[in-house]
Amino acid sequence: MNKKRIYPQWFLVIPLIAYVIFFLIPSLLGAFYSFTDWSAYSANTGVKFVGLQNYIDIFTSNKDYVSGITNTLMFTVISNIIKLIPALFLAILLQEGVKGKGLYRTLFYLPSILPFVIIGLVFKSILNYNTGLLNMALETLQLGFLKQKWLSDLDFVWKSIFGVDAWRGIGYVMTIFLAGLNTIPHSYYEAAQIDGAGFWSRLRHITLPMLSGAIMINFVFGITYGLKVFDIIYVLTNGGPGHATEVITTYSYQLYSNGQYGMSTALNTVLLLITLVIGVFVVRIMGKKEVQQ
Amino acid sequence: MFKKIAALVLCVSMSTFLFVGCGKGNDVSTGTENQPDTSQETEVTEAPESETPDFAGQELSILVSAGWMDNRYDATIARFEEEYGVTVDLQTIPADQYSDILKSKLSTDTLTDIFWIQSDPFAIGSQIVDPEKYCLDFTGAEWASVMPTARLASCSFNGKLFGLQLWHNSPEYVMLYNKSLFDENGWTIPATYAEFKDLCAKIAEKGVTPWFVPGADGWQHQLSFFQIGGVYEEATPGLYDGLNNNTATFADNAKMLEVLEQFKELANLGYFGEDWIGTDSTNMANDFGDRNIAMAMANSSYIKQIQEETGTADEFGLFLIPLGDNTYFPTNPGGPTMFGSASSEHPDLVKAFFSFVTTTESMQEILDNSPQYTNMDVIDANVQQHWLPEEEAFMSTIPAEKMEIGVLQTATKYTNNYWMNFGADMVSFCLGEIEANDVLKNMDANRAEAAKAAGDSAWGN
Repeated sequence: MNKKRIYPQWFLVIPLIAYVIFFLIPSLLGAFYSFTDWSAYSANTGVKFVGLQNYIDIFTSNKDYVSGITNTLMFTVISNIIKLIPALFLAILLQEGVKGKGLYRTLFYLPSILPFVIIGLVFKSILNYNTGLLNMALETLQLGFLKQKWLSDLDFVWKSIFGVDAWRGIGYVMTIFLAGLNTIPHSYYEAAQIDGAGFWSRLRHITLPMLSGAIMINFVFGITYGLKVFDIIYVLTNGGPGHATEVITTYSYQLYSNGQYGMSTALNTVLLLITLVIGVFVVRIMGKKEVQQ
Repeated sequence: MFKKIAALVLCVSMSTFLFVGCGKGNDVSTGTENQPDTSQETEVTEAPESETPDFAGQELSILVSAGWMDNRYDATIARFEEEYGVTVDLQTIPADQYSDILKSKLSTDTLTDIFWIQSDPFAIGSQIVDPEKYCLDFTGAEWASVMPTARLASCSFNGKLFGLQLWHNSPEYVMLYNKSLFDENGWTIPATYAEFKDLCAKIAEKGVTPWFVPGADGWQHQLSFFQIGGVYEEATPGLYDGLNNNTATFADNAKMLEVLEQFKELANLGYFGEDWIGTDSTNMANDFGDRNIAMAMANSSYIKQIQEETGTADEFGLFLIPLGDNTYFPTNPGGPTMFGSASSEHPDLVKAFFSFVTTTESMQEILDNSPQYTNMDVIDANVQQHWLPEEEAFMSTIPAEKMEIGVLQTATKYTNNYWMNFGADMVSFCLGEIEANDVLKNMDANRAEAAKAAGDSAWGN
């Protein structure tokens, strides 16, 4: 036995049991129920095995669950881009001696600790076409021609969601970048400056390579957040107008509310599979990068 | 060695606690398996008047959606607590979360002593699913006689009485209009869709929103389609039966398509306001009071609310929804209904509560404490109703036979279950994302799914 170990390995037993009972088994059961017709009526009719029928329905139903899947993937990609890039530059800005940077850091981080329900209520009010702060401000500034139906126009609803999501999430992403930036020795930048390297050169050859760990963490967090997005959509549009902003989880929630548990778990299993595929892909890339470094 | 033993003991004891928790859950489910016996044991047998059951110290828990009991039951509950020496734990849940919470409590057998559902003649089977397992059987209870026959249908299943529905019978979701504004401008109440469209144009010219439709609420705008069920039945005789027997569909129904197209036409003409899809009903009363809007679908009692909240001196009136040249005022036998839980630890206290709230004194008290409602639809001549003159004037214009049919959403199977989905589809249609017939096809597909889940033989299951 390795005497240097502080704790014995069987200390893992309890968390492992908890993990198996409260996570693994329910997840496997969920996948199992996705092959059944489990519903609110099952108390009377029993649960029957239906094979792949729920999955066939997902991809052939008139309800357009496929658009929910594509919307989820689209949200994952775009929300990551519009949070990661501004957050990186904000972090660099606040790292490099801006006056009152402590205050700015706090201000940028604050939205991320607000509950989604509060954010939803506040922004639904701000973005209201007739009485919202944004349109009223535009009118006051003689910019009334820029007024929009922010949450009910098909051309603007996703943009509004991305805007609110970025407002909430940028501070959090920025904080992780700041932690990464703090680990880069300042002497690297000084040496590069002496060699005549400009901002973009320093960014490309020092900051980004040295920050790859923080970028990867933000990337992984962003992908998992994007794939399971529910709250921000639910509180701002509830999938509307019509079904324009439905994502996998809002459809799954509707199915569950209607008592169609089998279909709901099938949709969640599709989400699980997508997450697994992307997760394995990201972890492999991370592994390769670490080896290269 | 000591550390190893200590760690092992700790590990075993924590695991034991973990499984003790699981074990308790099993006990609960075992208890549930015996529920049918319990419900049989608790069949209503009215206690003699002289006997005062001893419930002192017991707690009666009630699960209800916001808006169904609110303050109107407070005084009655206080008297009940005082009379029996009990406490009532009223668990009021926000309306948009209630259905999910109730379903999870039903499926996990953690129901309160009394719970409520939005019932209709088909709702008990579809929402509670197995009432004999979950509900106290009140068959033969004396208080059943206070409910009109139409409401009894929403409280019964397979010939047994499970629920109690004390609800109002005011004109529901008809067109409420600013009568003073109409009189000043010489506008008259429209009888047809063409007249209504012309009227909207005149109102819009004055800078007033003709028909306020709060699309952001998600549940209001589709009322204009469902509340006029009579026109569909008139255009296709036997439609309701056909929809319930699966011999008719929503899809391709010419009258329904016509109504949807009319709704979209009014939306496109801007008669619902600049952003009806993004506007909710929060400011509706103020908008009426400020004369920003001329008409809206609302309950008759809303007149009182507008006048009290805004202090306006304007008078208001009611007329029928004119889509599809509607001449019907279908009634809605549905409404919030309370049930006793079969798993209640004090079923006699539940029965006492149901008896208590159905006395003349209690029903009058509940009605008097309901500022939003002018009447209670009960068979008790001693209850003093407070009908508004506007309600009486409106009702007097409609022939009795035009009020006999039920509204489409609760008179046909599985339709009401997909209320919100239909509303979202209507918005998609108005935005040009789908066609009118797609809205109807989706409803057929949804109803078929519900029928399949319920094992409904009419759908070949």
